[in-house]
Amino acid sequence: MAGVAKKDVVLQVENLKKGYGPVTIVDQFSMKAHAGEAVALTGRNGAGKSTVLRCLVGADRPDEGSITVNGVKVSETNPQIRRSVATVIDDLDFFPDLSVVEHLDLLARAHGLDDPDELVDEVLEEVQLVPQAGQLPSTLSSGQRRRLALATAFVRPRQLLVLDEPEQRLDVEGVEWLGRRLKQELAGGLAIVMASHEPSLLDAIGARVLRLEGAR
Amino acid sequence: MTDARLQDVGEVDEKQLKLLMRDWRRGRADRNLLEALSDGYVMIFSIVLIGAMLVSSILQAQETAAVCDTTGCVAARGLLPWASVAGVLAFTLVVARLFGPVAASAAEGFWLMDGPTDRRRILAGRLIGAIAAAGALGAAAGALIASLTGSGGLEIAFWALAGGLGSAGLIAFAAAEQGVDRRWIVSGVQWVIAVAAIGTMVLLVSGAAGWIDLGQITLLAGELALIIAGVGALLILLAGFIAYRRLRNIRRQRLTTGGSLLSGLQGAAFALEFALIRDILVEAKAKERGHVRATRGVGSGTTALIMRDVQRIWRQPLMLVTLLATIVVPYAVQALGLAMLNPPISALVLLAALVPFMNSLRVLTRTKGLQRCFPFDPGQVRTAAMVVPAVLALVWSIAAFPAFLGVAGGVATDPVSAGSAALVTGVAGLLGAVRWVSAKPADYSGPIVSTGVGAMPPGLMFSLLRGIDMVALITLPIVFGWPVWISLIIAAIAFALLRSGLDRDSLMDQQAEQKRLLEEEKARRSGGGPAKQKIQVQRKR
Repeated sequence: MAGVAKKDVVLQVENLKKGYGPVTIVDQFSMKAHAGEAVALTGRNGAGKSTVLRCLVGADRPDEGSITVNGVKVSETNPQIRRSVATVIDDLDFFPDLSVVEHLDLLARAHGLDDPDELVDEVLEEVQLVPQAGQLPSTLSSGQRRRLALATAFVRPRQLLVLDEPEQRLDVEGVEWLGRRLKQELAGGLAIVMASHEPSLLDAIGARVLRLEGAR
Repeated sequence: MTDARLQDVGEVDEKQLKLLMRDWRRGRADRNLLEALSDGYVMIFSIVLIGAMLVSSILQAQETAAVCDTTGCVAARGLLPWASVAGVLAFTLVVARLFGPVAASAAEGFWLMDGPTDRRRILAGRLIGAIAAAGALGAAAGALIASLTGSGGLEIAFWALAGGLGSAGLIAFAAAEQGVDRRWIVSGVQWVIAVAAIGTMVLLVSGAAGWIDLGQITLLAGELALIIAGVGALLILLAGFIAYRRLRNIRRQRLTTGGSLLSGLQGAAFALEFALIRDILVEAKAKERGHVRATRGVGSGTTALIMRDVQRIWRQPLMLVTLLATIVVPYAVQALGLAMLNPPISALVLLAALVPFMNSLRVLTRTKGLQRCFPFDPGQVRTAAMVVPAVLALVWSIAAFPAFLGVAGGVATDPVSAGSAALVTGVAGLLGAVRWVSAKPADYSGPIVSTGVGAMPPGLMFSLLRGIDMVALITLPIVFGWPVWISLIIAAIAFALLRSGLDRDSLMDQQAEQKRLLEEEKARRSGGGPAKQKIQVQRKR
């Protein structure tokens, strides 16, 4: 998380417009996320929270507007963006033949860590997947898969964390842990943008709430 | 708390139950088979066209192989059906283990199996159907193989019998084992047959090359086919009867696992998504395995991705064994006298053998979520995931080089031509596999074409040819006798396209950037300010 001072603008969105066919989901949406700040997108189902998040990480192309991370235009294929933005949204896939711990090890190494054992073990313990370390993803429960997805964001360098309803499928203890972990991340200077339906989680991390109104 | 109305409701009649289910299914059908066939004339026309091309190729291959009377050709004609039919039988057992062979849908498992029904009466038809289907498909495969090797009419009939009765017998045997929930014997038999297939291929190549004297062994082809058919018939009767007796013992879980897998595969097959079919099978295998001994990664950056692919080979050495076994194919094809067709045929086999080494590439290209986690551009990710398969393809080409020289019989060629053919075959197999694994599925969100079988995205029919198109493009210049550099240039262009993945978003980004630069340049030339927008006045005509 080095290289970003607190209060620096990490993410800037200007006049974002995105629609599917004749339906406009988001229009004239602008926001900023500073280092050490959490921004939460709320709103009813279909309000456009996931659509905005998908545009933020480059998974979807906005119809209009601009999105930059540390001044660089967001493109899903840009390695610089990939290095800075850790995402846990609904399109994460796993290698069917690699175990839980091997996924985290591979990701950490790909990001340049030569000896990631200690970090990987720490994160594995935090997400309570130590007993499942050798399991293949297809045998994990939906809650365990969600924990693995979250773990992938914590074993790699990051400046912006984008999460789509991270509390989904987590038990009560899991949501509490997530709140504590995100608070730590904010203290370390990370910027977080998330969609959530869990007020307790948003309160725990002191997120600035932006309410979306939805399709027209 | 028992409801009085639920007592004395009589016993279940499974036959009536099945008839009732059939009525419901037929009641929901909105057209009969003839109507469906007449609606699907485009599909039928395509099948007839492809079938005609296939038959023509078989006849040509048969003619070439039948007139060839060198030692190699004679050995190949005699032994190739042995090896191929053994391969078909081993494959039958793989399929049987995968699906059951007796299977039931999840709905049947929930609604019927839990009730007071007799499973034997519900499943007996399923067992007979599985045996009959295996018989028909095995017979077709046996006949096709014998035809391709230039065998006579009687021998083709013998090998059809061997393939049909052998496959049906093995399905009956696997079903009997399913009744006692035992897998290891079927697995063992499958390996014995597979080793026999590979051993026969090696024997064939050795005999064709003149390294060993096969004596009169090749003349026993007919007798061996009849023995296989006889054993198969015996198994159908004995193992079939035992399987029938054990139908009541099959666990519900064992029945529905195969059924669920089958329905998932059906969905993917209707969309002609063969890579998705493989994904489902890989997922099912991973579920069955469940757990692995985790290994520490090696290196960092893209090296970590490459080394993880190397570690995958250690974890599943069977795929390496399979790849090594396919090296005998170019030797066997050359020995048959089909030198001109050797590059495309061998490249197709290499394509199939390389696909299991591309799990990384497959997962990293099918959805963008995981690829986005890696700090590389898509081209780098693809290149890293291609390194291990490329090295294996190179080793395969080197090992296949003597085959193209003609050392194992068939047409002898000079070293430069043989080396070129081996290299082109390896490259075609590799790029074909990359294309098969990483091509995007048909886009249902784009324009849809109206056809006799309903609306269809234009890319759907091309799904059938995915991978094969690459092999054809790269190897056909050699088949037509054109210079090898044409093949290599096509391969280089194909590699560049496959590496970039033809990513639509990247292309749109590039296009937008070029447009912006153009506007800037225009503005600069016209004196500094932004480019003037043309005003178009609407006029009535």
